[in-house]
Amino acid sequence: MASTETQPRFGQSVKGLLSDKVGSCSGDVIALTRQVLKGSRSQELLGQAARNMVIQEDAILHSEDSLRKMSIITTHLQYQQEAIQKNVEHSKNLQDQLRHLLK
Amino acid sequence: MAATGDDAAAMDSISRAPAAQLAALNAAAASSSQAKAPEDVAEIPAVVPKKTSTNSDGGVETAEEAVEPAEPDINELCADMFEKMAVVLQGELTGTSEDYRLLENMNKLTSLKYMEMKDISINISRNLQDLNNKYASLQPYLDQINQIEEQVSSLEQGAYKLDAYSKKLEARFKKLEKR
Repeated sequence: MASTETQPRFGQSVKGLLSDKVGSCSGDVIALTRQVLKGSRSQELLGQAARNMVIQEDAILHSEDSLRKMSIITTHLQYQQEAIQKNVEHSKNLQDQLRHLLK
Repeated sequence: MAATGDDAAAMDSISRAPAAQLAALNAAAASSSQAKAPEDVAEIPAVVPKKTSTNSDGGVETAEEAVEPAEPDINELCADMFEKMAVVLQGELTGTSEDYRLLENMNKLTSLKYMEMKDISINISRNLQDLNNKYASLQPYLDQINQIEEQVSSLEQGAYKLDAYSKKLEARFKKLEKR
């Protein structure tokens, strides 16, 4: 990264050296930034995390669908239980009648 | 960092050199040693105006180096350069930060979905508990239904026996009637 060419070369002005130095420093800073980003492997990890999330999404939607169906079935069971409750109240009379018949 | 210090020192020496050289030039302007002037002019092109004239003094022809015109506003150019550098670095970092933002949004949406599923599950659990209690309260009635079913089957057996007996009676009666 550090350039040690500070001595003026033959045919090169100080101004040219300066502009070269500034350019090389800028390039070094950008290269450093890219190396830091590459070394952190954040791109790979985040990409893998996003892919895993997309794979899980199908399972999550299926689970939600199943839960909604279960809630509907539970509601139907409640309706059926209320109908059974209404009808079993007649069974007492029916039993009394049968007992008389079987005597 | 040492290299940066050296570079800063070089840049400082370059910026200080024109002031020192200008004073030296003013002092040497009155003198006849114009052979030295071209070298000084060559080193400080930003401050000394362009001198391409040739002087001849005492039979010696001298010429000065043609220099580039000085930059109009170096400070503005430097500020522009640093701004653009900042934009470039910002762009480099924006990619990763956008990835993080995307993952954060996906996580938030997933957590919302799980919260909805949690509410649905709580409702289902509560309803099923009520249903279990109600079915437990129906158990005596279900036992009565079982007893009714047993009684009906025994009644059916009795009806079959009665039917068979009545058929036997009918056959004997017909036999006696024929005699």
